[in-house]
Amino acid sequence: MHKTSKGLKIFAFLVYFFLLAPLVIIVFASFGPDKSLTFPPRGFSLKWMANIFKVEMFRKTFLISIKISVIGTLIALVLGIPAAYALSRYNFRGKSFFNGIFLSPALIPGIVLGFSLLKYLVIYFKLPIYTSLLIGHVIIIIPYIIRVISSSLSNFDYSIEEASMSLGANKVKTFFTVVLPNIRSGVIAAFILAFINSFNNVPVSLFLTGPGLSTLPIQMLIYVEYNFDPTIAALSVILMAMTAVLMFIIEKTLGLSYFAK
Amino acid sequence: MSLISLEKITVGYGNNIILKDLDLKVEKGQLVSLLGPSGCGKTTTLRLIAGFLDLQSGKFIFDGKDYSHIPVHKRNFGFVFQSYALFPHLNVFENVAFGLKLRKVDKSEIKNRVEEMLKIVDLLDYANRFPAELSGGQRQRVALARALVIKPDLLLLDEPLSNLDAKLRVKMRVEIRKIQQELGITTVYVTHDQEECFSISDKVAVMNNGIIEQMDEPARIYKYPATEFVARFVGFENFIDLQLISKDDKTLVLKAKNNTEFVVDNLDLYKGIEPKKGAIRPDDLKISSIGSHEGSNAINGQVLVRTFLGRDYQYEVKTELGNFIVNHEALEIFEVGEKVSLYFPKDKIILVK
Amino acid sequence: MKKYSFYLLLAPGFIFLFVFAILPLIMVISGSFTTEEGITISRYIDFFKDGYYTTILLRTMKLSLIATIVAAVFGFPTAYYISKTNINKRGLYIAFAVFPMLTSPVVRSFSWMVILGKYGIVNNLLTKIGIIKEPLSLLYNEFSIVIGFVYLFMPLMILSLVGVLENIDKDLVAAAESLGATRFKAFMKVVFPLSIPGLIVGSVLVFTGSLTAYTTPQLLGGTKSRVLATVMYQNAMTLFDWDTAAVVATVMIVVTIVISGLINSFARRLDSRR
Repeated sequence: MHKTSKGLKIFAFLVYFFLLAPLVIIVFASFGPDKSLTFPPRGFSLKWMANIFKVEMFRKTFLISIKISVIGTLIALVLGIPAAYALSRYNFRGKSFFNGIFLSPALIPGIVLGFSLLKYLVIYFKLPIYTSLLIGHVIIIIPYIIRVISSSLSNFDYSIEEASMSLGANKVKTFFTVVLPNIRSGVIAAFILAFINSFNNVPVSLFLTGPGLSTLPIQMLIYVEYNFDPTIAALSVILMAMTAVLMFIIEKTLGLSYFAK
Repeated sequence: MSLISLEKITVGYGNNIILKDLDLKVEKGQLVSLLGPSGCGKTTTLRLIAGFLDLQSGKFIFDGKDYSHIPVHKRNFGFVFQSYALFPHLNVFENVAFGLKLRKVDKSEIKNRVEEMLKIVDLLDYANRFPAELSGGQRQRVALARALVIKPDLLLLDEPLSNLDAKLRVKMRVEIRKIQQELGITTVYVTHDQEECFSISDKVAVMNNGIIEQMDEPARIYKYPATEFVARFVGFENFIDLQLISKDDKTLVLKAKNNTEFVVDNLDLYKGIEPKKGAIRPDDLKISSIGSHEGSNAINGQVLVRTFLGRDYQYEVKTELGNFIVNHEALEIFEVGEKVSLYFPKDKIILVK
Repeated sequence: MKKYSFYLLLAPGFIFLFVFAILPLIMVISGSFTTEEGITISRYIDFFKDGYYTTILLRTMKLSLIATIVAAVFGFPTAYYISKTNINKRGLYIAFAVFPMLTSPVVRSFSWMVILGKYGIVNNLLTKIGIIKEPLSLLYNEFSIVIGFVYLFMPLMILSLVGVLENIDKDLVAAAESLGATRFKAFMKVVFPLSIPGLIVGSVLVFTGSLTAYTTPQLLGGTKSRVLATVMYQNAMTLFDWDTAAVVATVMIVVTIVISGLINSFARRLDSRR
């Protein structure tokens, strides 16, 4: 293996600096005592952290976002795991068509989806807005489930399915007792990845919020447009910490090199 | 009545027919091997019996009942996979207990039966280990135990030893045969290794291109192959096209292309069969200096290649009737280019289709 | 029945997506072509005649293109570096590149508001050093939007490229060098051509992502620099002009499909030449 040139290494690290420095800046800014966001901060204070909890909308929508994303991910898992299994295991007519349909939400622009759902689910068919928001999230989550589970199944040794059947288990039992346990790490990784992307989503939630219903990212968006203070920085730090923890869990189960498709 | 009866089985579609009009009978308590090169259809046949494949036409009768369309999980046949297919998320005990749990066997009975089976395969101390922690040979034994503990009506093994090293293969095949005989369980065994197959089987079916060329006891196949394919498979390397001239109870007289006469012992199994070729093993063919044999069952030739085999030398000899491979003890040596005589003893020539 | 059981596995998800995603989408698109009088493209004619909208469309495409090029130029060497790291450390490198993608776009755009703002870091630094006397207006313009897009999508570009670069046989470069190529030449003649599929995928993702992004241009673009997504939202939720919003939505989808299609067929032509 060649030694990579120093120049390349420096270049790469500059790019990494570009990617990570803004986030580091936010971490520092969240602890500064002043209202204006300065860097380097002129002191240390936790008051902006505390302020998060004073903003009622943050507290309420944090819970709403968690609920929507957890329930949405669970529904998407129920719909997506069998589909991913069918798409990985078998070859059949129309396979690429179905594959395309299941991955299509990733290709539809988020705001277009949000807009379509608002116009037709909420206004035209008069579905309650909470349901529509949930449906919207399930839609955008499904491609993540399909991709991760398909990837888990790509090297699956299906002869254990045959072994299970030869020992007396029918196809359904085999799926639950032999297939699922062996893609456990894939399911966990899919859950976390899906959850994170649902939690952070703006475009779909943007259209599907209303009186009494909003998500945390939307509230953050509104807050930033009217208030420019470190509270948002503090909240960002907490969310980043959550993300880091979840990423750590993914690393322990699936391994991070999964991310390079 | 045979326990297994495959009748005119066809598997495959259109241009891709794997088995055509296959007939196979297996008697209760026997170990029958399906032997042949890769692609000959032996694994397909085994998987058909297991129920992993559908037949396009024909019938699979088991113990008098039509099993042709019964789903896999209802057949109660134990299957040992080439890759063992152990459940990675279960330990040895749980792997072996899997089939018993499905049959809703009582917990204490499961424990007894699994432990007894693990004792038979000598893995009782490994009950809590996981497949990833086991060696190839150990995994093989777990796979065997798992298939046997359910008291299957039939044991099916798909090249179970091909992933093991040579020494282990020899040891394990003896183990498998021993267990099979002790339990008296009817077994169908697929392999491409002739020595392995012949050493443990009651009957062998030699397969080629989706058909069974010969099915018989190993010793008889070895001594009396029925077709050129089978003969080559068991070590006959020399073939002569022959035409039948006359026959009586004791011998047959045939003629080769160059009009040399060949006299061959008449065997019962030649009755009603039109022989096309004569075959002889390199060890049975006799080589000597030119002129020592004349007349029938002899031809002259010239040594092309000489290879040292240890106890013998092996010679490739060019003749009017083609090239022949002959082994001769190292005490007497023939040089490359030397003219020699080849003699075909009449009791060593086997006639094949 | 056994043969078709897999359709049963696909059915629930398929029906769900079809009813709740595909159908409403189709209705929006077809709705943009329908008025009380019947099928018409009059709204589209109005859209393209209107300088306001065409400016926005062109601006969005321009900014997306710039962002794609910048992401490719800076992302490629970075991905190349990552693909050459020790396989044990690689996971860590990838994790750090991926982490920003898992933070909310609000957070990411906000960080650039902090950096580029009138009293933000860049201006503070430059004023302190004495290079400028008045703070520069770095925010709420096309420049900040491009930076936002690049920041948002660079990880995607890097990931697409690392995947492809990892699969290039390391011996190929060595072979080229043994035949007389310098390291740079070997890279240009062997590594780069083989990595084009990854470059294509990454570019499509960055371009279409930027074209349809909302949060970043909303926070970093201000009212003077609108893009397709922000103008669509404005039409729908502020002006309640749903018809125009539907038109914008359809234009967005069509442009996305056309551009991805073009890039993909271009890629296929490159492939078949080999």
